Amino acid sequence: MTTSRERVTAALEHREPDLGASPVTGMQVDTVYGLRQRLGLDAPGTPVKVTEPFQMLGEIKPDLMQALGVDVIGVGRPGTMFGFRNEGWKSWTTFGGTPVLVPEGFNTAAEPNGDILMYPEGDKSVPPSGRMPKGGFYFDSIIRQPPIDDRRLNVEENLEEFGPIPEDDLQDLSREVERRYTETDKAILANFGGTGFGDIALVPAPGLKHPKGIRDVEEWYVSTITRRDYIFKIFERQCEIGLRNLERIYQAVGNKIAVVFVTGTDFGAQNGPFISARAYRDLYKPFHLQINNWMHKNTAWKSFIHSCGSIKALIPDFIEAGFDILNPVQCSAADMDPYKLKQEFGDRVTFWGGGVDTQRTLPFGTSEGVRKEVSERLRAFGPGGGFVFNTIHNVQARVPIGNVLAMYETVREAGRYPLC
Amino acid sequence: MSIFEELQQAIIDGKAPVAKEVTDRGLKEGVRPSEFFPNAIIPAMDEVGRRMRDCEFFIPEVLIAARAARASTDILRPLLQGEESVKPAGTVVIGTVKGDLHDIGKNIVGMMLEAAGYRIIDLGVDVPPEKILDAVKQHDANIVAVSALLTTTMVNMKAIIEALVAAGLRDKVKVLVGGAPVTDAWALSIGADGYGKDAPAAVELARKLAPSA
Repeated sequence: MTTSRERVTAALEHREPDLGASPVTGMQVDTVYGLRQRLGLDAPGTPVKVTEPFQMLGEIKPDLMQALGVDVIGVGRPGTMFGFRNEGWKSWTTFGGTPVLVPEGFNTAAEPNGDILMYPEGDKSVPPSGRMPKGGFYFDSIIRQPPIDDRRLNVEENLEEFGPIPEDDLQDLSREVERRYTETDKAILANFGGTGFGDIALVPAPGLKHPKGIRDVEEWYVSTITRRDYIFKIFERQCEIGLRNLERIYQAVGNKIAVVFVTGTDFGAQNGPFISARAYRDLYKPFHLQINNWMHKNTAWKSFIHSCGSIKALIPDFIEAGFDILNPVQCSAADMDPYKLKQEFGDRVTFWGGGVDTQRTLPFGTSEGVRKEVSERLRAFGPGGGFVFNTIHNVQARVPIGNVLAMYETVREAGRYPLC
Repeated sequence: MSIFEELQQAIIDGKAPVAKEVTDRGLKEGVRPSEFFPNAIIPAMDEVGRRMRDCEFFIPEVLIAARAARASTDILRPLLQGEESVKPAGTVVIGTVKGDLHDIGKNIVGMMLEAAGYRIIDLGVDVPPEKILDAVKQHDANIVAVSALLTTTMVNMKAIIEALVAAGLRDKVKVLVGGAPVTDAWALSIGADGYGKDAPAAVELARKLAPSA
C-alpha cells in the first residue's frame, strides 16, 4: 500500500494525518500562514486563502500537505457558512496582521469599538449575522431571533436553509471530486451539509438574510424539551431532504469519496454529555440511523460523526446509529481517556482525532510536551488500526509554529507500524 | 403539598408558568418574599445542581429549571427591597472575558447564583477589564465571575486580575473563573481565587469563598 488513499481506505486502519479536510480538522489562517512561512513555502507577505470564513480556516494547499505528510483532502459544497461562495478572491488582513484572501462575498463593516461585522450572503443591506470581536480570530453568530409565537410556529421556518442541492452545485461538487480523485492520491473526506441535525453552529443560520423559527441558541436547547415535537418534525423533514440529496450526490460522485462528514452537532461539554442518552435516542438517533443505513446500503462511504466534549456515555449509541468514525475525540474532556476509549470501542469504530490536546498542550505547552503527548496518543489509539491521526478539532490561532511542526514530525517519526 | 414544595417541584421540573403561579399564590396567602429563597428556590436549585453532577440533568434540563427559578425571582426581587432584614448572599459581577462571545455557561452560572440568593450584575459578553472594575465599584460587588470558551480569550482573564490589583480592589473581591479550556492550574497561575468546572461548582465556590455575613 503506497498511496495516501490506499492507506486511509484500507479500512481506515492506519494512523495517518488529516489536516484541513473538514471544518473541524483544519487550521486557523494565521497559523497556516505562520507554518507556510516557517517551511519556506511562500515569500513573506504571500496571502493565504480563507476557505471557511466563520472559523477563519486557512487553505491547506498540496505543497503543505506534502510537507506535512497529509493523506486526506476535503471537498464540500461551494457555499460557506455565511451563505456566500468560495470564489472571487480579494485581499484582507486579519487582526493578527496576516495577509489573506477572502471570497468576494466576505463583506464586512467595522463597529465603533473595532469589532468586525459579517453579513449573510455578503449583503450589507440586511442585519449582520456574524461578529469578530476586535483583536479576535473567528466569527461568532449574531443571534437574530424573531419573536416566538408558539401558536404560529411552523417547521418550514427552521428548514429554509435545507433544500435540494442545486444542479450547479452538484456539477461543481462532481468536478471537484473528480479533480481530487484523479490529480491526487489522497483519500477524500466530503462534507455535503444538510444532515447535521441540530448543529448549534448552524441553528442561528448565519447564511440566511432573515432567519425565522427558533434561531436563538439557548432557546433551541430549551426547545429540545419544551418543543420536542417541533424539533422532531424539523429533523424528519431535514432527513427526507438529506436522503434525496445523498442519492443525487452518489449518482454524481460514486465511491470516489472515502468518508462523509454526516454531523457536527456537539453532544458533549467539557465535563459530561450535553444531553441525556434518552434524549439522543429520542430526537437524533432515528435520523442518524436513516442516514447511515442508506449510506452503508448504497455506497462504500464511511460515516463520520463530529462531537466535541465528553461523550463516552453516548458512544455506544453512536456506534449503534451506524457511525464508522468518531471525531475529534476530545481527550481533555471528562471520562475520555484514550486508552480506555480504545479498549472499549476500538474494535467497532475508528478514532479520527485525539492526536494532541488543542486546549492546553498544543497552544501553551512546549515542543517537547507536544512530542511526548503525540507519541502517547499514537501508542494509545494506533494498535490494531482504526485510527486516523488528527488534532482534537482545528488548530487554533496563536499556536506556536514550533509546536505544530513538532506534532507532525512526531507523527512521521513514530507513526509507523509496528508502533513502539 | 405546601407552597414551598410546589414551587420546588415546579423549578426542578422546569415549569416556569407553574413557578410563577405558585409564587403569586404564595404571596397572596401571606408568605413573605424572603421566605421563598431558603425554603424553595435555593433547595430546588441545589437539587438541580446535584442532578447535574449525577448526570441526571443536562444542559436543557438545567436551563429550563433556571428559567423556572427566574420566573419566581423576577416576581420576588422587587418585593425584597421592602424587607429590610433581607440582604443578598453577595453581589456578583459576571461576564465573559474580552473577545469571547460564548455565554450559555455564563448565563447558567448567573441564573444559579441568582437562585442561590446572590445579586447578579450581568455585564454580558466581551467584557473589558475596565467595565468590570466600574461595575465592582458601582455595585459594591464582592465576587467577580468570568468565563472563556476559547484558548485565545482565556488569556484575558489575567488582565482582569491585574486591573483589580492596580485599582486597589483585589482584596475586596473574590475572582472565580470558568469555561471549557480553564482549569484549576490555570486559575492558580493567574491569581484567581477559584475555578468552577460547572455551574453548581460555581455556586459552591461563591458560598465558600465569600460567605454571606
